[in-house]
Amino acid sequence: MLARARQSILYRDLLYNLVVRDLKVRYKHSFLGFFWSLLNPLLLMAVFTFVFSTLLGASNAVPMYHIFFLCALLPWNWCASSTVGTLGSIVNNGHLIKKVYFPREFLPFSVVASNMINYLLSLPALLIFMLTFRSPEAGDAFSASCKHACINGHLLWLPLLILTQAVFLVGLGFFLSALNVFFRDTSVLVEVGLNAWFFLTPIIYDARSLTAFPTLMYYLNPMASIITNYRDIFYHNQAGSPDLLFMLRTLAECTIILIAGYLFFMRTSRSFGEEI
Amino acid sequence: MSSAVGKPEQQSILGPDPGNGQNGASNGHKDSAPATQPVAHSRASNVSERPLKVIKFSKVSKRFILRHERPRSFQDMLVSLFGLRTLSRRGVAMPRPANEEFWALRDVNFSIYAGEAVGIIGENGSGKSTTLKLVSRILEPTSGSVSVRGKVSALLELGTGFHPELTGRENIFLNGSLLGLSRKEMAARYDKIVDFSEIGEFIDTPIKHYSSGMVMRLGFAVAINVDPDILLTDEVLAVGDEAFQRKCLDYISMLRRRGVTIVFVSHALDAVRSLCSRAIWLDHGRMIADGPAGSVVDRYLAYENEKHTERLKAEQDNRPVNMPAAPTVPEAMETVEDDEEMLPQEAATEPSQAGPPPHAPRADVKITGITFVDGSGASSQVFRTDEPLTIRLHFHAHDRVEDPIFGVAIYTEGGTHVNGPNTRFAGLPIPAIEGTGHVDYHIERLPLLAGRYFVTVAVTGSEMTDILDHQFHAGSFVVQPTPSVAERMGLVLIPAQWSVHPDTEA
Repeated sequence: MLARARQSILYRDLLYNLVVRDLKVRYKHSFLGFFWSLLNPLLLMAVFTFVFSTLLGASNAVPMYHIFFLCALLPWNWCASSTVGTLGSIVNNGHLIKKVYFPREFLPFSVVASNMINYLLSLPALLIFMLTFRSPEAGDAFSASCKHACINGHLLWLPLLILTQAVFLVGLGFFLSALNVFFRDTSVLVEVGLNAWFFLTPIIYDARSLTAFPTLMYYLNPMASIITNYRDIFYHNQAGSPDLLFMLRTLAECTIILIAGYLFFMRTSRSFGEEI
Repeated sequence: MSSAVGKPEQQSILGPDPGNGQNGASNGHKDSAPATQPVAHSRASNVSERPLKVIKFSKVSKRFILRHERPRSFQDMLVSLFGLRTLSRRGVAMPRPANEEFWALRDVNFSIYAGEAVGIIGENGSGKSTTLKLVSRILEPTSGSVSVRGKVSALLELGTGFHPELTGRENIFLNGSLLGLSRKEMAARYDKIVDFSEIGEFIDTPIKHYSSGMVMRLGFAVAINVDPDILLTDEVLAVGDEAFQRKCLDYISMLRRRGVTIVFVSHALDAVRSLCSRAIWLDHGRMIADGPAGSVVDRYLAYENEKHTERLKAEQDNRPVNMPAAPTVPEAMETVEDDEEMLPQEAATEPSQAGPPPHAPRADVKITGITFVDGSGASSQVFRTDEPLTIRLHFHAHDRVEDPIFGVAIYTEGGTHVNGPNTRFAGLPIPAIEGTGHVDYHIERLPLLAGRYFVTVAVTGSEMTDILDHQFHAGSFVVQPTPSVAERMGLVLIPAQWSVHPDTEA
């Protein structure tokens, strides 16, 4: 264990270089680069806001639906792209695995990290929408009378949530990337599963408004807890403090997933060289 | 490979016990170590302390499972879980083949000390590459233990890890970090790498625009400039232009002098002999010999040659009618002759333009065999430096051939053309031949140093461009070192004298 830690320090710049490689290659060819990656969530936001606020009528409309939706969609996109990315991170780098030794765990790890940077870069867009495009009943973002999507001290919990989500995604990535080496159709199953996962996670609806077994959903789906936490600090942040216990419980669960995923990855990574 | 499957107990022909093989191998060399201990070489024995063990294989075995129809998907796994037969893509039930075991390495023990250059030799599938991959930790042993101390840089495939979309500069840093170097360390080496790779101004161009040679040069430049403690190479020097190959070999020798441990896997036995102090010979995953590079390579060559001879003999026994001219040839001859009568001039000049047509029975004479004869007059495959060798060409002329020229050409294993004498150059007139007979090329004192040599034979008409028969690498022989000849390096023994003349004026 100590030797592994020492080795990781030796290779510390590998992580940096892998992340830079990911980002550079992703944005090298497009003139607008990173801004294209914002187009998709913004378009989705417009469509869902149109459907939920206009088409379904005002009676069951959620105020400031675009913020309600966007603050959940952005972390979800991080989750989805990390899941797909980590899944292939070992198999697609088979040429490296078979030729050079380096700590293999850096591959899924770097995918989560580069997608995290992508997520962080998209947060300013969210803040801009929180400041502008406000409906009259939500009130001014900075005022005490603000009802929804206010800008206040609750946002300081954001780093803890990002850490929680990163821990979860790395843990999941360890499982999926290793499993995919041995069973190649893991990737097909995950792609199908992602669609279901999107709807089972409270992104287009509010988890707290559900009547049936929300607690069970939180436990079975860490993303549900994480998204609910994000929404607490970005959207339902008009009064009181967010549920700290809930946040820590989520972090604890994600840490268990990370440790299990790491152990599984380390156990199986010995035979990556011959299985790929 | 198939012969090893399922027969892991197979013994090697030359040495029943891998450890014992080494005693024979180190004959005539100084300080042969006990059988279980690898030979300490001159370089190491100069040091008063015991040299540092950097690589240690103890009872290492590596098993691969050859799963012909392995469950790669959940569907297959479920199907095989219920003991059903797996379905092929066409939906036809196929018998489920049992998993086959293949032992790439079996109970291999050796230690490599700091500063040694060790060549690993053996046939394809003998476990050489598996050994390198175990050292570089790409594979883990099935049993036994591999311990490696120091930073390993592997030249297993140059340019591995380069991303085509990134520039040369970005790839240098990425590749360096794959080898465990920090950005700061890479920045310090950057200029040297660019310099060595000869990439020049293209360094900021995405490497997808590079030629394959440029990618390879850059890969090599990175791999050797990361200051490894242990350098692993696997046939990488077989690529690239000759000047760059030379440069790489020079650089590897320089690293060696600097004390870098080198493990070198190669079929280029010349390179093993000149670069390595020690060689390990693997055969079907077992260690046959471990000792000074020269003698292990010689033993390996002798063994290979023996096998080659046996195979040739078996072929001859199976098809005895093949070596003498086949009965159908004369008919073919007639048609050729007809052509020649019609177009005598063109037929004569054609081969010179088209190059030698190997084995084309164009004309009236065929070389039916080649034998190597030693000083006692016996046919042999193994010779010694400074002793007699006769290359005997057996011919069969179906019709009378006027003024033919016989020639041979000797090549090294690496393809270097050593010489190309013929009867015309030697001023030997052959007025005419008909029927069978042989031509001898006699070397009184063989000047070639130890190694394996290939012989190409040809016979032409009175014009040397009029090739009647040409057989590329028709035979091969092995030269073993002679106790009386101390020279080891290079290709030929040049008779010469040394003398020393100190300046006494000062």
